[in-house]
Amino acid sequence: MGNTNSKTVVKPKKRGFFENIIRYRTLILMCIPAIVFFFMFSYMPLPGIWVAFVKYNYGKGLFGSKFIGLANFEFLTSSGKLFALTKNTILYNLAFIVLGNFLAIVMAILLNEMQAKLFKKVAQTMMFLPYFISQVLVGVLVFNLLNYDTGFVNGILGTLGFEKWQPYADPNVWPVLLVIIYLWQQTGYNSVVYFAAICGIDAEIIEASKVDGANAFQRIRYIILPSLKPTIIILLLFALGGIVKGNFGLFYNIVGTNSLLYDTTDIIETFVYRATMTDFNFSTASAVGLYQSIVGFVIVMVVNGVIKKIDPEYSLF
Amino acid sequence: MKKKVLSVLLSATMAFSLAACGGASNGGSTTADKTETKTEESGETAESSESDAATETAPASDIDTSEHVVINYMTTGDRPDGKAAERLDEMLTELNKILTEKVNAELEIYYIEWTDYLANYNLTLAQMDGSVDLVGTASDWLDAWPNTKNGAFLPLSEEMLQTYAPQTWASVPADHWEMCKYDGDIYLMPEDNYAQWTNHGFIYRLDWAKDAGLADGVHSWEDLTTYFAFVKENHPELKAVWDSDGTQYAQMANGWISSHTNFVAIDGLATGALWGGTKDDLYTVVTPVMTETDSLVEYAKMMKEWDEIGVWPTDVLNNTSSQNRDEYRVGQVAAEQHHTQTWTDLCSANEANTIYADDPNAESGFFYFGEETDNVVALSITHGAMAVSAASQNPERALMVYDLIRNDPDCYKLFNYGIEGVSYAINDEGLRTTPDGFDSSTDNINGMTNYWWGRNDDLEIRDATRNWDKIDELYAKYDKVKIDYPYGQFVPDVDAIQAKIDNCNEVYTNYMKQISFGKYTGTAEEIVAEMQASLEQAGIADVAAALQSQMDALYK
Repeated sequence: MGNTNSKTVVKPKKRGFFENIIRYRTLILMCIPAIVFFFMFSYMPLPGIWVAFVKYNYGKGLFGSKFIGLANFEFLTSSGKLFALTKNTILYNLAFIVLGNFLAIVMAILLNEMQAKLFKKVAQTMMFLPYFISQVLVGVLVFNLLNYDTGFVNGILGTLGFEKWQPYADPNVWPVLLVIIYLWQQTGYNSVVYFAAICGIDAEIIEASKVDGANAFQRIRYIILPSLKPTIIILLLFALGGIVKGNFGLFYNIVGTNSLLYDTTDIIETFVYRATMTDFNFSTASAVGLYQSIVGFVIVMVVNGVIKKIDPEYSLF
Repeated sequence: MKKKVLSVLLSATMAFSLAACGGASNGGSTTADKTETKTEESGETAESSESDAATETAPASDIDTSEHVVINYMTTGDRPDGKAAERLDEMLTELNKILTEKVNAELEIYYIEWTDYLANYNLTLAQMDGSVDLVGTASDWLDAWPNTKNGAFLPLSEEMLQTYAPQTWASVPADHWEMCKYDGDIYLMPEDNYAQWTNHGFIYRLDWAKDAGLADGVHSWEDLTTYFAFVKENHPELKAVWDSDGTQYAQMANGWISSHTNFVAIDGLATGALWGGTKDDLYTVVTPVMTETDSLVEYAKMMKEWDEIGVWPTDVLNNTSSQNRDEYRVGQVAAEQHHTQTWTDLCSANEANTIYADDPNAESGFFYFGEETDNVVALSITHGAMAVSAASQNPERALMVYDLIRNDPDCYKLFNYGIEGVSYAINDEGLRTTPDGFDSSTDNINGMTNYWWGRNDDLEIRDATRNWDKIDELYAKYDKVKIDYPYGQFVPDVDAIQAKIDNCNEVYTNYMKQISFGKYTGTAEEIVAEMQASLEQAGIADVAAALQSQMDALYK
């Protein structure tokens, strides 16, 4: 705006709010569903944060309940597990984000390079399907594969004369197993975004590279990957915002309440669920949610700041 | 700059809103409901004091029942479907005829399905939208007191009870009403005139125990070891000795403590029986899990032995959907851990228990926890109780309906047994039997109304299929040694220590699961010491001290 002349600067300033609305009515109209959605589901519930600071009483309601300051957060710190839980949650999510995105990009590129159309479609559909299986069923599937007495894997091991494997008594195998299960379920879905981004690359550039004699690997290295960079960064930023929020469905359904495995599989969500189920306390649960949101917010701000320092083009804001 | 600030705010709200939505959806609706309840309540008190002034116990006809209302009764249980639902509807139609005639109201049943019942139960109460009126509740297994504290139940004034539930008011003695009070107000109507025992233990095959050389049956944990080892060895046809699921640890650990000490637990604080008194000194808080180290080590060793025998499935901790009881009925397993009331069913040769028809020698014994030390505590009268939802639109009528289904013989029989000739019949001895063509999967009304909140021995008709000789024998044995639940009036204010209770419970659960199923690594001594250290850190002593000071205030 600084280098435009004064006439053009003054003109839009004179236009009033309503004039703008009329001028951009079509755009605004198209935005209305999104605006309504965020207003209803993100802004209207905001006062609900208050519940984390009160002793919630059903009869007295949200603002009638007694204010107790930070007492609801005490539960998290007094367990002495906050650090271990946050560590587990963040490490799992890091593994999910890094490996998940890496694998998704690889799959998207492979799909893109595939020539046989039918095989491409079939492969994509097969990869996508696990995403639609409910986590509860995934838990059942995993149990039926891995359990000691009647599990599929142990059935095979048994017939082949090997010693049976007892994963449900071994906490050390679960970080690997959980990451594998996550990748199996999510990669197909995640790769769609990247696949779409690849499809959106200007065909002319690719054609030009072919004319210049670039082979498939050079094409991937010098055209596709750089073009995916903004998408990768944006998805990474979004994912980082939720890095302290664990995947409750996955962990709870697969690990369940097997306390033998908690050392390596307990995340904030599952701990809070178990600990607060006994007294059904909205306030403590909300306090935990708030804690996670604040940490997530700080992480997003920091990472975005760092990216902005390096290359402002790619930062979210 | 402005843009920057704005974008920071926007992303902040985005992140925060994720946290907020859970709480607010409840908060928002409650504010509206709150005013509703208030007006309801104030209208109520005006009305009741009016009628109270007229007569001490106003007959039902004096109460304004001109408006026909629907009373929703909330109970835990799975909603019947198909033919069973038709039977239920037939019964409700009959019942509602009577209810309409007497109090111009009809009853509908609101089911809280068994899956995650406690969470759904509490959530439904928290909604406060008037969708339920009568709430079946329990102080030990359904969070009656936490919900009372959270404001989910309507305080029932004596005038209200006298006016709208006069028979119930008269039948419950004053000291029982005392046990239903919180902060001076009555919240619960107790099931205090119904003999049942819910002390836990192991139900086992007495005939097999005799084969195992236990001529007299199982009477100690050591006998159980003998029994389990014998069954594992000699009955390979079984699916499992005990097809346990991972939740059984709490009752087992509590049972061990009962069998080896004279500890009496305070109900309703946490899943595990961590705090309580002793039979000799009821009002001094002790924590056996911290003090009975030797006994717990012995327990850990015995459970390791059971695990090695193969009493339960190897992955028992991940086993969440056990059908053990039904498997016991048909002879696929050799034991069931549950309470006396369940045993009274399983030891009887009724239609569902096919073991007795298949094997004429079959017999079911019951080893109850505490048998060795005669440590048996009678059931708290609020193990089953009825409350009125604070959001109920018609609390007066709800009370009138409850008074009828609890005390009126016709309503009681309909609601508990169904229609005579369809769901039950009465034989020459006056016992309850099943009529010809009875199908237990569709006609058993008792298993559909799940009315465990005001059964009444004055109106009960004994089930002819039950093995009453054996049951009465055991009840007589209990009556000789039992003590009444001593903490009925003790409703501790746990706000300040709730975090510590939650943490202790969490620690206890995690370790006790490993100990109770023998799944720990290292030695028994190590795991017990580790658990005690963690409990110490979680604040078990602070909770005990807080409970002690509250108990002193009440009893000393």
